[in-house]
This record gives sequence, structure tokens and C-alpha cells, in this order.
Amino acid sequence: MKKFFAVTLGILTAIGGFVDVGDLVASSLSGARFGLALAWVVVVGVVGICAYAEMCGRVVAISNRPVFDLVRERLGARVSLLNLVASYLVNLLTLGAELGGVALALQLATSVSYLLWVPVAAFVLWVVLWRVKFETLERVFGLLGLTLVIFAVAVFRLPGHGPELWHQALSPVPTHGENWNTYGYFAISLFASAMTPYEVFFFSSGGVEEKWGPRELSEMRSNVFVGFPLGGGLALALMAVAAQVYHPLNVKLDTLGQVALPAALAVGKLGLAIAILALFAVTFGAAMETGLSSAYVVAQHFGWAWGKLVPPRRAARFHTVLLVSVLVGAAVLLTTINPIQLTEYMLVFSAVVLPLTYLPILVVANDRRYLQDHVNGKLANTVGVVYLVVIVVAAVAAVPLMIVTGAGG
Amino acid sequence: MIGDDRMDVGYELLDLQILDRDGMEVGKVDDVEFHLDEDGVPYLTALLVGPDVFGHRIGGWLGRVITATTRRLRTNRSGPVRIPYDLIGSVRSAVTLTVSRDLLPEPELEHWLREHLIARIPGSGHAQ
Repeated sequence: MKKFFAVTLGILTAIGGFVDVGDLVASSLSGARFGLALAWVVVVGVVGICAYAEMCGRVVAISNRPVFDLVRERLGARVSLLNLVASYLVNLLTLGAELGGVALALQLATSVSYLLWVPVAAFVLWVVLWRVKFETLERVFGLLGLTLVIFAVAVFRLPGHGPELWHQALSPVPTHGENWNTYGYFAISLFASAMTPYEVFFFSSGGVEEKWGPRELSEMRSNVFVGFPLGGGLALALMAVAAQVYHPLNVKLDTLGQVALPAALAVGKLGLAIAILALFAVTFGAAMETGLSSAYVVAQHFGWAWGKLVPPRRAARFHTVLLVSVLVGAAVLLTTINPIQLTEYMLVFSAVVLPLTYLPILVVANDRRYLQDHVNGKLANTVGVVYLVVIVVAAVAAVPLMIVTGAGG
Repeated sequence: MIGDDRMDVGYELLDLQILDRDGMEVGKVDDVEFHLDEDGVPYLTALLVGPDVFGHRIGGWLGRVITATTRRLRTNRSGPVRIPYDLIGSVRSAVTLTVSRDLLPEPELEHWLREHLIARIPGSGHAQ
């Protein structure tokens, strides 16, 4: 029974933890522009992250090494240094975007400018990562993130949830007045939001700290294969409400308030309150994960002591990188860059570095030296290779499409 | 491993994580040290850990910058951390040593950051 609860809790945390500011922005924006015509990309992205997260989990459970640690052995010192720089910078952008999401959610709740909330959010984030029982908080925010279900409720209470949505989802082409370039640009953003690199860094490092072994493989798989798709379902709900409310009016989204508004229209004040809580919970949860991931990648590349189980003074380099990353993330926002735009850029650059993140995982997951008999089977390798092709196409097309479309303009 | 006393150093040892007896991270195998025996056959004597040897190994302008920066910031003339081959317990997905990392020289950057920054923040001695 205890085991059952542990598994359920893990799945629920995975559902709430799946969505972050990237999903919020990409799903809502594309729902407003294209209805559900891009819904298939969310499905494609979820299958991809499931396949690769499972590989990461397996590598951790059998070799007890986090993925980024093994990247350097397999890519060689020079290429992996390049990978480190790229991964770190994208992680930093993601951290900035998540902090921006936290500050915007607080602005929605208090009407105090988000710029004043940025330093507060950054400080609280750092204190949490420095001292507080992290595992508990991760669970708390994962579970609070489940309040996103309010958007699924909203889908059925808003008009136009019938055959119209199905029709949009089943005609995956640019809607009237849009062209293929914009369609492709939003498709890449959505894909990147499902496969954002920090997810696998965080997932595998967490597994090492929780000392996963072969016995935890089934629990890990149930979290991934049940939790992530249900989390993807919440991202689809966000897309659907945007499709119902904004698409018919031809309104383009540019604030986090507009992301929350459909919940207010459908369920009233209480709906709005729950929606704001959900936005806060998922962005703060993701800010913790991206903050840690920034420090994980650096420490694991250079072989430094890392992690939350070691007192900070025994891992001074790790904690310095963590502190500096949070400060830089906050500083980026204080330039008064629009956090929603920052999120869009973050997604594009995530797409560019995706091959650097996922190719080494596929290579390591086939290495008997680390995985013995648990190397990839035919299915995992087929899915892995197909996705690697998709990932490379998305990476190559991301920047040109951003320029051609003026970032979706 | 190729045989009992032979291994492909480039593939099996370089860039591997080094852990101490208790599983704490010591560093990466940034480079290795060879000596020649009486017959002129090279044998492995130590693992080297430190940004300067890492920079030296990757070479190019970037490598030179890393090495030069490390040497300039050095407060003493200790050089890279040298781990004698005798201290290696096993080589699998990581190199595990037979001693605690407290017995090895502490990396200078770690020492400096702890003394000047991390240890001054309240609560730095407690794990979560």
C-alpha cells in the first residue's frame, strides 16, 4: 500500500511538474493563432520526452551516474566543453524565463509590478535551494501544479468545445490568414517546450541523489509513461481554451494574464484564483529545477561535488555556480525584457541545442559498459533515432524560421 | 579493459569521473601520467586532476586560455592534483579510490570559494 502511494505521488508530481513557462506560453500562443491545428506537435513532443527520459532513468539506475557526467566521456573533452557552454546558457535563459513567470503570476495576484517581484522571487528561490528540504518542496509544487486542471474544466464550460475543436485538431495545416513559416515556427516552439533540455538534466541528477537502482526501474517508468502524457494533456487543455476564447476573435496573446483569463471566463473568480495559483506553482517549481540544472551541468562536466545532500561548504563550487546563475537570471529580467518574449527566445535556442543534449543520451543508452543488459532494445532505438532526426531538423530550422517570421510576429 | 594489466587509456580512463571511498566527487581524469620502466615500456603512474592539465590536453587557443588563467590565479605552486595509481580501487562507470578525498590536496578553486564566499553564508554547514 505504501508502495502504491509512493508510485501515485510520483506520477502526480510528474504531471504537475511537466508544465513550465515554456509550455504555458507556447501552448497558449499557438492555440490563439492556430486553434488546435498544432495539437499534434504536443503529442509528438510528449512521446519524445518519454522515450529519452526513460533512457536517462535507465542509465542512472544501472550506472549511478547522471547523464551529463557521461557526456564528457563519450563526446570527448573539446566537444563536450562546447556542449557545456551551450547547455548552460540555454539553462540560464530558461531560469530567467521561469523567474519571469513567477513574477508575472505574483503581479496578477497583487497588481504590484512584476519588476518589483523579480528580486523577491530570486531571493526566495535561492534560499529554498540553499536550505529548505528540497524534496518536500518539489513534491508540494508538483502537486500544486495539478491545479492546472482548472483549464481542463474550462474547456468544457466554454462555448465551442464540440466538433469544432476536433475539426481543428484533425486539420494540421495553417489556419486562414497564416502561412507555413509561422506554422513551422510555432511547431518548433511547442516541440522545444516539451523537450526543454533541463528536464533530462534535472531528472537524471535527481535519480542519482535518490539512489535509484534496478529495483526503481518500474517506478521510474510509470512516472514517465503515465505522468508525462497526463502533463502533456494539461498543455493541450491550455491550447484548447486559448483556441476557444482567442482564436475566433483573432487576438494575439502577449501577457500571462491572457493565459489565465479563460479560466475566469469559464469558472469565475475562483477559477481565476486557481489559475493564478497554478501559474505560480508550475513556474516556481520549474525555476527550482532550472536553477539546480544550471549548476548540475557545470559541476558534472568538471567532476565537482554537487547536489542537495552535501552541505554547501563541501560543494562550494557547485553552490557558487547556483548563486551566480540565480543572480544572472534575475539580472536578465531586470533589463525589463518582456518575460513572454524571453520565453519565446528561450524556446528557439532550446531547439537549437536539442541535438547536443539528446545525441549523447542515445549513445550512452547503447553502451554496455554503463548499462550491461539494460541497453536500449529495438523499440527504444527506433524511437530514439527517429526523434533524433526530428530534433536535428527542428534545430536547423529554428533560427531561420525565427528570422523569416520575425519571431512569429 | 583489454587484459588484466592493459587498458585503452583514451577510451576507458580519460574524462572518467573520480569518486572517493565514500562516493564523493574528487574530479575528472583530466590527464594521466606515464613513466618508463627499465625496458622503456611506459606504465601508468598517476591520474591528474585540474583545469590546467585539462586546458593543456584540449589544446588550441581555448586550452591555452584555460591553462594560463589557472596558472595565473594559483596562490601557491602546487600544480594539478596528482592521484597515484596505487589509490585506485576500481574502474567501472567511474574511478573509485580506496581513500577519502579529505586525504587528497583540495582543489584551489574549491578552497578559495569556500573560504571567501560559501562558508560565510549562514547555514553552509548543514545538508538538507
